[in-house]
Amino acid sequence: MSNEWIDPKRRELLEWLCDPGRRLGIDRAVAAYTAAKEGALGRLPEMEEMRKEVRKIKEGSISRMDELVRQTVDSIADVKGTPYLARDAAEARRIFCSIVGTGKLVVKSKSLTSEEIHLNSALEDAGNVVYETDLGEFIIQLRKEKPTHIINPSVHVPREDVARTFSKLLGRDVESDIPSLVGVARAFLRDKFCNADVGITGANVVSAKTGTLFIIENEGNARFVSNAPPVHIAITGIEKLVPTLSDAFKVVQTLPPYASGVLISAYVSLVTGPSKTADIEKTIVYGAHGPKELHVVLLDNGRTEMAKDPILREALYCLRCGGCLYECPVYRVVGGSFGDNYFGGIGLVWSAFTGDECAVAVAIDACTKCGRCKEVCPLEIDVPKMVEHLKSNLASRGYVSKKHAEMSENIMRKGNPFGIYERRQ
Amino acid sequence: MAMAGKILYWRGCMSRLKMKGIADSTEALLGLLGANYDTLGGGEGCCGSVLLRTGQQDAARSIAILNTEKISSLGYSDVVTSCPGCFKTMSSEYPIIIGRAPFNVTHISQFLYRRRAEMAGHLHPIRARVVYHDPCHLGRHMGVYEEPRALIRMVPDVELVEFKYNRSKALCCGAGGGVRSAFPEIAVEVARMITGAPLKATGASIIVTSCPFCNFNLKEAGGVDVIDLPEFLLRSWRGSE
Repeated sequence: MSNEWIDPKRRELLEWLCDPGRRLGIDRAVAAYTAAKEGALGRLPEMEEMRKEVRKIKEGSISRMDELVRQTVDSIADVKGTPYLARDAAEARRIFCSIVGTGKLVVKSKSLTSEEIHLNSALEDAGNVVYETDLGEFIIQLRKEKPTHIINPSVHVPREDVARTFSKLLGRDVESDIPSLVGVARAFLRDKFCNADVGITGANVVSAKTGTLFIIENEGNARFVSNAPPVHIAITGIEKLVPTLSDAFKVVQTLPPYASGVLISAYVSLVTGPSKTADIEKTIVYGAHGPKELHVVLLDNGRTEMAKDPILREALYCLRCGGCLYECPVYRVVGGSFGDNYFGGIGLVWSAFTGDECAVAVAIDACTKCGRCKEVCPLEIDVPKMVEHLKSNLASRGYVSKKHAEMSENIMRKGNPFGIYERRQ
Repeated sequence: MAMAGKILYWRGCMSRLKMKGIADSTEALLGLLGANYDTLGGGEGCCGSVLLRTGQQDAARSIAILNTEKISSLGYSDVVTSCPGCFKTMSSEYPIIIGRAPFNVTHISQFLYRRRAEMAGHLHPIRARVVYHDPCHLGRHMGVYEEPRALIRMVPDVELVEFKYNRSKALCCGAGGGVRSAFPEIAVEVARMITGAPLKATGASIIVTSCPFCNFNLKEAGGVDVIDLPEFLLRSWRGSE
């Protein structure tokens, strides 16, 4: 195989490497994150036990993912929500487009799963206007970029650049102090929430028995999005399903300290079916103050296949806290180019199943398999082992860079990777 | 067997060919200790680590089988390595490939630690503040954290300090996993994440490490004296300060 497949992704990696602005944004975020996380974990000695329990919950859930999907579908239907199972990204997009229709105003809260299926462009192509309302996602949307971190999508944009983006949006100069920047987003998005026809959220974990979606956030935008518009559509990967409410609460307690260095996030919304009331003659009517309709799209898109691989299935345990990214030495220097929608070592595995295989085959050669991610992961997911396994799968399909092929040939012919001739004694 | 009681010092490609000072110093130190050892000279070859890290399992398998036959047929039952990559590969991956542990494998830091009593009286002072860099393959992957530190502390007058992130949380030098060959630009930037602010915060003038790849890559990042553990101990033994 020629090496042309390498070039575009290689260029992207090196562009990131040479961009001091993006490096500055990431460096500032890493410093703030590590200090906050160390503080939070210091106050949560019980987390040592909790994270082990969560690991067991995830192991059990992934081993019976099919059954949990069936159970979730039934539970959501029971509470008058509309469940869907989308086998792949195209099917998920079709489901969304058929619910949303055309000419609608759509507000979204952060969902990497929606990025995975390239939802925004599908909705826009169908003639809708879509606003991201998470501040980081809003910045990324305005800058026409891709998210570069699963929790902090605009991690690579320093405040000075945010100010430039907002100045362009408003047609006036905006100060680059962070509180003012937050104020700009708040003022701009306020009426969008109330005027929207449809609100789209993700879900961090779902209790299969009750069909309850757990949406964790700090900004309060997901509450607006899931509550103000008449229609709420949630999308979540089928690996997010756990058996019970109490299992889900354990996940909810584990995520925030590792995701953002807080004991618990500002808001955890639990959504079980559409809004309803029975205040008049005990007769249930759907659509009181909240949405009249709740649609839940459960996305497979490679997850069932991932679960079948004895080594790579561990990636499905990932809670998506993103902590490993802040701790990854390679992510520090190449940021959002280190993967495809999902980043870092574990992101390479996710990207291989859900994104561009070619991009993964290039970016994987930037992973040192140092194992720091495994060390800081609350679930101790063995990322270096998975990356090595994935690398070997890719290599067996011909994705070996010229450099690595040369090394291999040198080893076979000359006994060392450098191709140096050695005199045998 | 002919070589029973004799150890095989497996230098590894990096120490043998690119960072020769590491292999030469290690041999000199083994000589001073009166260790009964051999090397395989120019016939040593590759341990297969590089192949495993870059996804070339079949080639790695054949190398592992070849090396096992070569080393076993010569009668060596103890192998000592300079490189944590060779150490990890031979001690934890050969047994999976071969189906049994073909010989004992130790890292040079473990070997020297076991013979520390023989070194103790010979070490001369080095007046320096040094920081130890944990190689990923030796530390996180194989759990060897304390032996190198104990050996550094044996050198009189040395002040051993720690990086903020050390042992299991140590930062990676950037060279491992085939990154150095695929993306040298990325490898050196990752190394600078150690030789920049984290190193300055320690106030150390020397980084001691025990991996030829870390050594090479941290040197590439520049601006600091990087020295392999046996090199450092040899410097102290010879009193060349």
